[in-house]
Amino acid sequence: MSERELHDLVRKLKSAPSYTEASSLLSKTKLTLLKLKALTPQSDTPQSVLLLAREAFENGALLSIRAKDTAAFTRYVHQLTPFYELPADVLPGKDSQRTKVTGLYLLLLLTQGDYAGFHTELEGLEIRGEGEAERDRYLGYPIKLERWLMEGSYDLVWKAMASREVPSEEYGVFSEILTITIRNEIASCSETAYPSLPISSTKNLLFLDSEGAVVQFAQSRGWLIRDGRIYFPNQSLKAGAEAGNEKELSQLAIENTLGYARELETIV
Amino acid sequence: MPSKTPHTNGNEPVENGVNGTKDVEMKDDAPTSLKGGKGKKSKDGEEEMTVVVPPSKASKLSSSPGKDQEGDVVMEGEEQTAEDDGAVKVDPVTKAVSDIKNSFPLLERAVTLFDARFTLRALRSISSIRKRLTPDILARVITETYPSTSPAAKSLLVAIDREDATFSKPNTPEMEVDSESKATKSGKKEQKDILPEVDIFLGVLIQIHYLDKKDNNRGAVFSQHLTDRIHSLNRRTLDSLSARVYFYYSLFCEQMQPLPPSPASPVVSLRPALLSALRTAVLRKDVDTQSTVIVLLLRNYLSTSHINQADLLVTHTKFPDNASNNQVARYLYYLGRIRAIQLRYTEAHQHLTAATRKAPSSPCAAGFSQSATKLKLVVELLMGDIPERATFRDASMERALEPYLHLVQAVRVGLLGEFESTIKQHSEAFRRDGTYTLILRLRQNVIKTGIRMMSLSYSRISLRDICIRLKLESEESAEYIVAKAIRDGVIEASLDRERGFMKSKEVGDVYATREPGEAFHERIQACLSLHDESVKAMRFPMNQHRLELKNAQEAREREREMAKEIQDGDLDEDDLGGEFEGM
Repeated sequence: MSERELHDLVRKLKSAPSYTEASSLLSKTKLTLLKLKALTPQSDTPQSVLLLAREAFENGALLSIRAKDTAAFTRYVHQLTPFYELPADVLPGKDSQRTKVTGLYLLLLLTQGDYAGFHTELEGLEIRGEGEAERDRYLGYPIKLERWLMEGSYDLVWKAMASREVPSEEYGVFSEILTITIRNEIASCSETAYPSLPISSTKNLLFLDSEGAVVQFAQSRGWLIRDGRIYFPNQSLKAGAEAGNEKELSQLAIENTLGYARELETIV
Repeated sequence: MPSKTPHTNGNEPVENGVNGTKDVEMKDDAPTSLKGGKGKKSKDGEEEMTVVVPPSKASKLSSSPGKDQEGDVVMEGEEQTAEDDGAVKVDPVTKAVSDIKNSFPLLERAVTLFDARFTLRALRSISSIRKRLTPDILARVITETYPSTSPAAKSLLVAIDREDATFSKPNTPEMEVDSESKATKSGKKEQKDILPEVDIFLGVLIQIHYLDKKDNNRGAVFSQHLTDRIHSLNRRTLDSLSARVYFYYSLFCEQMQPLPPSPASPVVSLRPALLSALRTAVLRKDVDTQSTVIVLLLRNYLSTSHINQADLLVTHTKFPDNASNNQVARYLYYLGRIRAIQLRYTEAHQHLTAATRKAPSSPCAAGFSQSATKLKLVVELLMGDIPERATFRDASMERALEPYLHLVQAVRVGLLGEFESTIKQHSEAFRRDGTYTLILRLRQNVIKTGIRMMSLSYSRISLRDICIRLKLESEESAEYIVAKAIRDGVIEASLDRERGFMKSKEVGDVYATREPGEAFHERIQACLSLHDESVKAMRFPMNQHRLELKNAQEAREREREMAKEIQDGDLDEDDLGGEFEGM
């Protein structure tokens, strides 16, 4: 088990034609790394091994994204983190696919709706990069998407995903998940915002291909379709719920007042 | 009193010897003064958060040990003003030397009485000594306190480059007792050895001296040896002193090149030391060190933006309840910061509000209050609240908060253009304060405010107009954004897709909702918890209640007498009244 062997493995890994082949190579690489005690960077690991290890993990991360294996991808990202944290004189930053991997990770967090994790990651980038993050091709993409999602410019998100603004093919994997996410977002917004919607324009609103798809989608959400218009039954439900709250409110007020009385008694 | 000290006194010299040689070695491999870390960051104001209470007259205190301790605290204020007046006339060096020495009896009392409050009082005097601290003064104190053979003294002297200082104190045992008693003015004859507390206290002073000279590398090395020594001592009376030692140690590391955000910064290598200190402190139930080290670790993690680690630390440790107020304030600040990054604004706001309230109001803690207030303002904006105008008028805040004032104005009116130009203009300041990413998140709030303004002023407005006013990119965006605002409950309105306008609903009466009730409840809760906390914070002297009982009994008797008199008086009045009526 030597460095040379590792080198060969990493080289083979890059040209691996299929995922299954690559994954068996990957597990071999990891074993080799373990024997070299370089699975996590130690203070005495030589630079060449560190470089190889990083390359192996980066390849693993990208491969697992292509295979849509998000759990494996997250694992690789966590394994890569200590390598990325190394100072530049121990492990030079060039030739690394750091921004690509980090960008993908951000996008993954975004599609999972883990905004807290997203911002935590972003904060770290901001401090280290001094505003470089936004200008970076790979990192800028998820950052922009997040901003648009938060303010509600869903059409911009849609355009960004459709118009080949996507920085690399791996990013395309998430487009599908994101489309579903925003469609559901728009649907829940429309439920409250519109009294009713004509089917024809709903097609554009929800970025669906045909009116048939609209009808199908409407049925899956339990919307009513009458005379070519969509009505939202949830709206009337909500109004009913508010009336019920009235009773709860007065009960709460009584409870609070009793609480004050008790507290006052202990003070006086 | 003597019964508590002897066993420690017995092995003291040996310990001194061992650690003394270590300290000497340290001097050799310490690099010559390398200037690290130029200029203090604004946040470093925190380091000065120690509440400045000028030294109390220690000699006077120790001469009356039997006195009620509560009395001492109350008297402090008067005493020191008198002392300060006198100080002007005395030679500053002598004055500083005597000030430092005045702390020693306090430390001794802390050891003999096992009361940490005396140590704290000694530590409080540091801030006033600090300004006058020079190696010569330190050397004089050391030479006058220690016998010349003491290795501890030697190592301390080496640390301040005064190894050739002559010991003014004669070395004969009988004389030593004599001068000792003179030096401490308390006349304790049994005091033969110098307490380790005094060693560490002087060590802290030397640390401060390094810090003021910005000699960070030597300071860090010296601190490391100091922590080693503390670790080997295991004395409860050292707790608050060791907390201070760790505090300065971490400050040194922070100011050494390369500065924190870089992963090679010395703060990263400090972490294991701090973590093990935390472990030891928890096991020894050392509240002071525990709270200080938790805060230092949080600061450490946040400086390299390891928010996950910081969050894990918070969830896995319990911050001691009875930690000192300053540490609690710092802890809350860092906690607020973590929560703000994690988008948990309500929690963040609670923590930050508590932090700003707990921060001492004295001007030396202005830096802390400022950064806490800045963060609080941003969190308030993120929550959709507009901070009060009065916050920006505060004299100590006005200048520091100026960029934030512009920001608030832009958000309040909901003008996206103005908001973006403010960010561009002040991006440097925001980055420095570490609020930049948080502020970028505000964009959606600005848009929401803009929509809310429009929905309030127009009963019906076309999406085109909304788009133009908010400077959005397209009408479709405007439609989605408005729809989202309606869903999130920002406005009460409905959209008409075919004709492309937004129609506002009638605004309901706020007083018909539960909102005023909730606000009222919140305030009452705050008042009640304030009351509870102040009751908890009160200190009751022992056996005082008996006195009070007696007083109460007397009072009751008096009352009874009074009641009796009044009764009599009433009768008189009645009688009088009767006469009146009769007339």
